[in-house]
Amino acid sequence: MYAGYGWRYRIVQGILALLAAFNLIWVGRVQNSAEAQALMENVAPYSGRWRTYYPPRGEIYDRQGRLLAGNRTVYEVGVDLPSVRDAHTLALTLSVNLGLDYAEVYNTLLHPPEGKIYWVAADYVPADKGNLLRNLMDEMENSPSGQSLEGLILRPHLQRSYPEGTLAANVLGFVARDGRGYFGVEEKYDHLLVGVPVTVWEPMDPNRVEELPQIPPAASLVLTLDREIQAAVEEILDEALQEYGAESGVIIVMDPRNGEILAMASTPRLNPNEYWNYASLFPGETPYNRAISQAYEPGSVLKPLTMAGALEAGVVQAGTRFLDLGSVVVGGVPISNWDNRAHGDVDMTTCLQLSLNVCLAWVATQMGNDVFYAAMQRFGLGHTTGIDLAGEVTGRLKLPGDADWRPVELGTNSFGQGVSVTPIQMITAAGAIANEGRMMLPHVLYGIVRDGKQRNFAPQMLGQPISPTTARTLTNMLAASLDSETSLAHVEGYRLAGKTGTAQIPIPGRGYTSDETNASFVGWGPLPDTRFIVYVWLEKPKTSIWGSETAAPVFRRVVERLVVLLGIPPDNVRLSSSRP
Amino acid sequence: MQRQWVGLFLLGVVSVLMVAALYLNVTVRAALAGREIQALREAIEENARLNADYEMQVAALTTSEAMRERARALGFAPARNEDLLFVTVNAYLPPQAVDLSIRETTQTAPLLRAEYTQSLVEWFAERMMQASAGR
Repeated sequence: MYAGYGWRYRIVQGILALLAAFNLIWVGRVQNSAEAQALMENVAPYSGRWRTYYPPRGEIYDRQGRLLAGNRTVYEVGVDLPSVRDAHTLALTLSVNLGLDYAEVYNTLLHPPEGKIYWVAADYVPADKGNLLRNLMDEMENSPSGQSLEGLILRPHLQRSYPEGTLAANVLGFVARDGRGYFGVEEKYDHLLVGVPVTVWEPMDPNRVEELPQIPPAASLVLTLDREIQAAVEEILDEALQEYGAESGVIIVMDPRNGEILAMASTPRLNPNEYWNYASLFPGETPYNRAISQAYEPGSVLKPLTMAGALEAGVVQAGTRFLDLGSVVVGGVPISNWDNRAHGDVDMTTCLQLSLNVCLAWVATQMGNDVFYAAMQRFGLGHTTGIDLAGEVTGRLKLPGDADWRPVELGTNSFGQGVSVTPIQMITAAGAIANEGRMMLPHVLYGIVRDGKQRNFAPQMLGQPISPTTARTLTNMLAASLDSETSLAHVEGYRLAGKTGTAQIPIPGRGYTSDETNASFVGWGPLPDTRFIVYVWLEKPKTSIWGSETAAPVFRRVVERLVVLLGIPPDNVRLSSSRP
Repeated sequence: MQRQWVGLFLLGVVSVLMVAALYLNVTVRAALAGREIQALREAIEENARLNADYEMQVAALTTSEAMRERARALGFAPARNEDLLFVTVNAYLPPQAVDLSIRETTQTAPLLRAEYTQSLVEWFAERMMQASAGR
């Protein structure tokens, strides 16, 4: 009986084998069909995503390691449009919490633009609001009321933040939403701070997960700025603008021995956390940092440079006598003193002490064009200093042979008229006198921190425009005027050197203003072991036009704070302790 | 004879099932590890953000203005030079600028071990290569 049914089993086996073979062939056909290829191509973009990993932007610290610029979490609030179930609740939530227009949001949710599946409702939403939205999402997830925030997507990311607000804002610059640094350190060192982003393909299939390449961390910067000195200097500057009614001002504090900028204050100051106020705060051509970006005629603070050149060339000595008759003719144009008086027989120290234009113009004529302008160029006038901040301008030193140079310029340039400089140029040049003739590159970068290691910036010398002997001689000449307690720049207990400057303001094609001035002061100390140099510039002070009555007392206030913050003892303590 | 054929067939089926089970097991573990890695990546990002936030919070609490306010509230006032008493200390070194170097360096070892990236065939081939190389 079994043998009788054998052929039937074989038929069934054959049919099953045929079916199996047919299935295999069919599967192969489907897998290799044109439709299958098209389907594979269509789904390929969804099998993963290209993602760019940005290392967090490097931080910026002051010289004591206090954070000046860091990062904080903010949220991108978006909506996965096809997932929205309750457009009313979602629109209401976004409207109430983010201040968005309800009707606009509701309309976008109900009628999304063609082909759009993800809509960014808001970006850079602060963390507290982002967390609030997240809590609402959690609460409504199992809400019996039926309300739903489904479709709402919160994507956290980092945003630049400045915990100190406006402090040192002119030096730091800011980072806009395009991730780029603007002005100051943020722009100058943008390439270091931003790091190297890495783009990788991330498959959705966990079986295909690949190792994420190491993302090199961005570099952090340590600045030469001292936060406490910066805060003190900004406070003094703001008070001075109020007190003297000046339009704007600059104070720079530098260590002349190595060019480190300890503080740099300029007005106005922008809160970099609210950088969108830039246009309203800096209208027209208002520079972001006047200390490096605004050239002006400095007036008498330039006289020490003239005297330095003359002493160095051997044209005059400290004791050289000059008969001041109240006027001197240079290039056919008479030049007078600031007080229009004659001061008779004076030596060079007195010339500087009384800030006699006639005397300095005479000195310049004794030097001649070649010696005088060579000296000014050695001090860096007419060139940028190379400070590591974005936006430095050159100023202008007209030279014999230039189309607009006239012979009288030799006389006027000697006392800071007809030549334009930036405050950073002036403090750098004067720093050479304070530092035994060595002119150091001014800089704000102290060190770079990368891969856990800090590499510090080595001080660089820009040149040696004068000898140590000339520098010491001139410093003593300038100290003579500040030794007097009648000087408003005098600081009790400390021997300092300095020079005031009061410069009329040029009006293009119409000469100079008579009632508006630039008041300046440059001074350094303590002598003989100089540790700081301070430059003060007040633009158009109202209460007095004289630098000796406005910029000089500001210098004194700065030094009074500096000696405390830097821990510099008075001369009697310092000099007695340094004796063997 | 027929029993031998049946036995051989069953042996083949069992072998295939064993390989399939092993392959399934490895695949599942690889998938789980992959998911874990994806989650860890997100955790790393989250921690980096938290770290940045904490640093900002500390900075906000210790800003120059905040510290001055706190000092004022505690009855302190900015020191003036005449308030200070200087004492000569031999070999005193004035404070230096900060050094933010850290001892630990970034880990450069691979994050994913081969067990989580190799297929069974690749693993088997590698073993064979190692065995032949070691002979």
